[in-house]
Amino acid sequence: MFTEAYMQRALVTALLLGPLCGLIGVFVTARRMAFFSDTISHAALAGIAVGFWLGFADPTLPMVAVGLGVAALMLWLKEKTDLLTDTIMALLLSGSVAFGIVVISLLKGFRGELHRYLFGDILSVGPQEVWLAFAVSAVVAVAVAVRLNALTLLTASEDLAHVSGIPVRRLNYAFVLVLTVVVALSIRLLGIILVTSLLVIPPAAARNIARNLRQQIVLAVLAGALGGGGGVALSYRFDLPCGPSIVLTSVALFLATLAASRLRQASGRALRSAP
Amino acid sequence: MAEIRFHPGGLAIESRGVRVTLGDTQVLRGVDLHVPRGKIVALIGPNGSGKTTLLRCLLGLQKPDAGEIRLFGEHIGPKVLKRVGYVPQRLPLDRSFILSVREFLALRLPGTAGWFWQSHRRTDALLRDALEGLDLEGILGRPLSGLSGGQLQRVLIASSLLTKPELLLLDEPTAGVDRPGEQSFYELITEVHRRHKLTVVLVSHDLSMVYRHASRVYALNGVICCEGTPEEVMSADSLKQAYGIHVTPYHHDHGPGHHHVH
Repeated sequence: MFTEAYMQRALVTALLLGPLCGLIGVFVTARRMAFFSDTISHAALAGIAVGFWLGFADPTLPMVAVGLGVAALMLWLKEKTDLLTDTIMALLLSGSVAFGIVVISLLKGFRGELHRYLFGDILSVGPQEVWLAFAVSAVVAVAVAVRLNALTLLTASEDLAHVSGIPVRRLNYAFVLVLTVVVALSIRLLGIILVTSLLVIPPAAARNIARNLRQQIVLAVLAGALGGGGGVALSYRFDLPCGPSIVLTSVALFLATLAASRLRQASGRALRSAP
Repeated sequence: MAEIRFHPGGLAIESRGVRVTLGDTQVLRGVDLHVPRGKIVALIGPNGSGKTTLLRCLLGLQKPDAGEIRLFGEHIGPKVLKRVGYVPQRLPLDRSFILSVREFLALRLPGTAGWFWQSHRRTDALLRDALEGLDLEGILGRPLSGLSGGQLQRVLIASSLLTKPELLLLDEPTAGVDRPGEQSFYELITEVHRRHKLTVVLVSHDLSMVYRHASRVYALNGVICCEGTPEEVMSADSLKQAYGIHVTPYHHDHGPGHHHVH
């Protein structure tokens, strides 16, 4: 069924980015950064618009640049004002979406493309994107493996991490950088609106049945592969939009693990209450 | 400012004229603190007295606006912080973060750094020596976020001891621990102190807790307003200084190096 080259590219990319998002997502969710990544992904719309305006054939670079700009602005506003983080993120999210739409509506010939970036499209994954996804996955996987202890301690407590000699500020910036790049790459498949789901749902599904962090990481990587790969396959088979297919597959996984954890709890109670 | 001379041998903690202003409030107004090595001491003060700020300064989490702090005669930095263990009051852990006690402890012991790829049996073997006397074997598989206050405290103490510190700083160690838990906490700290021969600083707002366990007490209220043995500091006068109602306009400055002796 996967004979077409574009289909193979989409599938390979999904099988790279799904597990990568699962891995990163464990820390994104534990650090309560889901809304943060949502803001970054919506800022990508402004990035796409600016990229198109400036004549970029491929919007990846402007997406990452604008995403990092918005992330920096977010950190700056958090430090310099008394506003709640939620308020700042909502402001930047809606602001960058509005900016992107306005710029796009002023440009001719792009409006038809917008749909692909909002909801994801397997047709938009070129050979370049596959290599980029491969390179980024490899680099991030190695970096996380090498810095797993530092990242975990940072997630448990920034103060303890600092006292343990971990460069907290630098690691935080590196994490935001990785998150922005991963989000920008995943937008091809999932679309701006749904990209955060791949960072949130696989770790949540894994959390349902994991007993420790190691299990959660392994299961989240697996769930990311199943959600991403399964979603692309469904999208191809039934001619559905790619992003929603991936999300619905992941949600199905989440429901299955939720049911499994409920069953396990119930059977645990039954065993304990047995005479 | 005149040349400051620090103790040549290096006290465990030595601070001169530490000032910190947060927002509009001058939280620390010139803290001079001299903590000798090898003792259990207490840093007490009411809420808002600057205990937490001073603790954050000692850990390098807060930079003083003025003054200087040295630990073991060295400026605060990654090098000297290797000799310091920190036991926070609690962790800002989300229940969704399912880090187990075993995994948390393995993060800081060099031999267990590869915990992700190791069997639990191997990790536990590496942790065993460090955990002796802490009674944690039964809860190694439990998630950190599901522990009781007392259990979490023992885990945090164990974690801080893994790197063999010479100075242990405990933030409000008996807050959130019940009475029997408090008793076993002190037994544990006494045992840790005896076994590891380190300096222990208990930071607390609770006067009664330090009475029997600290050999020296420092009362903080923006400045170190008195220090001495627990009996000396507990005397009515000095308590009034630390906890009294009219403390805010109270200004107390004998210049650096001077302290009340009661």
